[in-house]
Amino acid sequence: MIRRLLLALALAVLAGPAVAQQRTDGAADLPAAVAEEQITVSSDYRGSFITVFGVNPDRRGRGDVVVVLRGPNEPATVLRKRRVFGLYVNGDPVRFSRAPSFFAVMSTRPLRSIASPQSIWRYRLDPAASAELASAVPGGADPSAYRAALVRLRRAQGLYQEHTGRPTAEERSGLTTYRGGLFRAVVRLPANAPIAEYSADAYVFREGRLISSQEIPITISRVGFERRIHDLATQWPFLYGLFVVLVALGAGWIAAFIFRRS
Amino acid sequence: MIYLPIAEMPVNVLLVLLVSGAVGFVSGLVGVGGGFIMTPSLIFLGVPSPVAVATGASQIAATSFSGIMAQTRRKGVDWRMGLLLSTGGVLGSMVGVWLFERLLRLGQLDLLISFLYLFLLAGVGGMMLRESLAVMRGRQLKGVSVLKLPMRTIAHRLPLRLRFPRSGLYISVLPPLALGFGIGALAGIMGIGGGFVLIPAMIYLLRMPTNVVIGTSLFQVLVVSSLIVILQSAATQTVDLVLAALLMLGGVVGAQFGARVGAGLKNEHIRALLGLLLVAASLKFLADLVIPPAEQFVLVSGQ
Repeated sequence: MIRRLLLALALAVLAGPAVAQQRTDGAADLPAAVAEEQITVSSDYRGSFITVFGVNPDRRGRGDVVVVLRGPNEPATVLRKRRVFGLYVNGDPVRFSRAPSFFAVMSTRPLRSIASPQSIWRYRLDPAASAELASAVPGGADPSAYRAALVRLRRAQGLYQEHTGRPTAEERSGLTTYRGGLFRAVVRLPANAPIAEYSADAYVFREGRLISSQEIPITISRVGFERRIHDLATQWPFLYGLFVVLVALGAGWIAAFIFRRS
Repeated sequence: MIYLPIAEMPVNVLLVLLVSGAVGFVSGLVGVGGGFIMTPSLIFLGVPSPVAVATGASQIAATSFSGIMAQTRRKGVDWRMGLLLSTGGVLGSMVGVWLFERLLRLGQLDLLISFLYLFLLAGVGGMMLRESLAVMRGRQLKGVSVLKLPMRTIAHRLPLRLRFPRSGLYISVLPPLALGFGIGALAGIMGIGGGFVLIPAMIYLLRMPTNVVIGTSLFQVLVVSSLIVILQSAATQTVDLVLAALLMLGGVVGAQFGARVGAGLKNEHIRALLGLLLVAASLKFLADLVIPPAEQFVLVSGQ
């Protein structure tokens, strides 16, 4: 008995760091994969679709599946339009230290009926729960109004998405479940979504409790000409700026030359 | 449609060419850089504003350079004066960028920029429109000669006088330096080239003839916008070469046509056009400020 306890303790200690790395502490790994492990962006890029497959460990397919595609967290500021001398100007800034640059959540049923509000916040299952306020809200304003504004504005840009149930003819994003616990989530990544490392996270909830989860990294990267320009701009920014100015002078000179002859 | 590697979004090639061509035409016609039209247009097309400001500057560099080439043939550039204005402008824009950051921390930047835009556009535009209309009607405005006299005496009494043969002036170098500095500081705060403030200042304060004013202001705009491109690229990496190339293509062609049309117009007509443009821009700006916004909140990514 004591030996068993010691063994369990040792395992827990060994597993400690690994568990800490995952948000989904205690839950078993969910078998899941992404169809497109690498997405490339070239000059004709118009956005893409990402497909996440997985199997619900419950053989009878009980429970609810939630799939979240997350872009990297970045700071953001939300300003409110104030009225000064009859003019509307931006003011009262509220800073978010981290807000997902992209966030799409697909679930079999509405999120609120799958997981408790505590679970939604704990596992950051909706975009509002993923944004962290960094500064106090000025003048007794409602912080949730700023949070809601962040979500609303990003949703209007197609950067925050929420889909319930299977895809339809008009909406290709959604989550479909099949017999034997197989599920497939499809999400449209719009062309204005940042080029970065994404994470596709799949969760299975039963009776409001997380029973299994998995995180799959997805890399979106530039290729060819787009990549060369970006590398130049980030690795040699001063030379790149100088180069752009030279191109500008060249363009101006060529235009003047052509127009003088005609 | 083509994907922009730095702005991280696709744009419609024809639409961008059309917009930059129109801005270039105005630029070649009246000699302003056109930043105060270009930047809002790009933001309207969905380009993130830091990319719009930094990349727009590269287009302004291209159009102003092609404008200078066209003006040189007509002997429309006072190089000596342009160099003085640019020197002041470079120093001033550095101070302006520093002030920009200070005001940003104080949280009153947006208010200040809104008022600066409104008053400068409406004030300068209104003044030019009034004066040029008066000239067209065949009478000199009294206010102008009042403005001109004290400036001349100050410029004559100050040391470091220099002859400007192109402009037919013999004045101290200090007023052009100070003017360049002031415009540069404004440009740094407002994120524009400042040509639309510089042109009337050269006409009404330095008393330069209109035919050299456009070429000379283009020279100052070229120097300041090139500096902005390099500094922004080094500091924020928001210059998009693909977008810049499209803007340049539309801009330089438009500027050449603009310069052609401008060569066939009278000075007061050009001034009236610029005045009209500025007043129109200020009205648009005022409308945005006065009409209650549908969305109360504004999102700024990054920082």
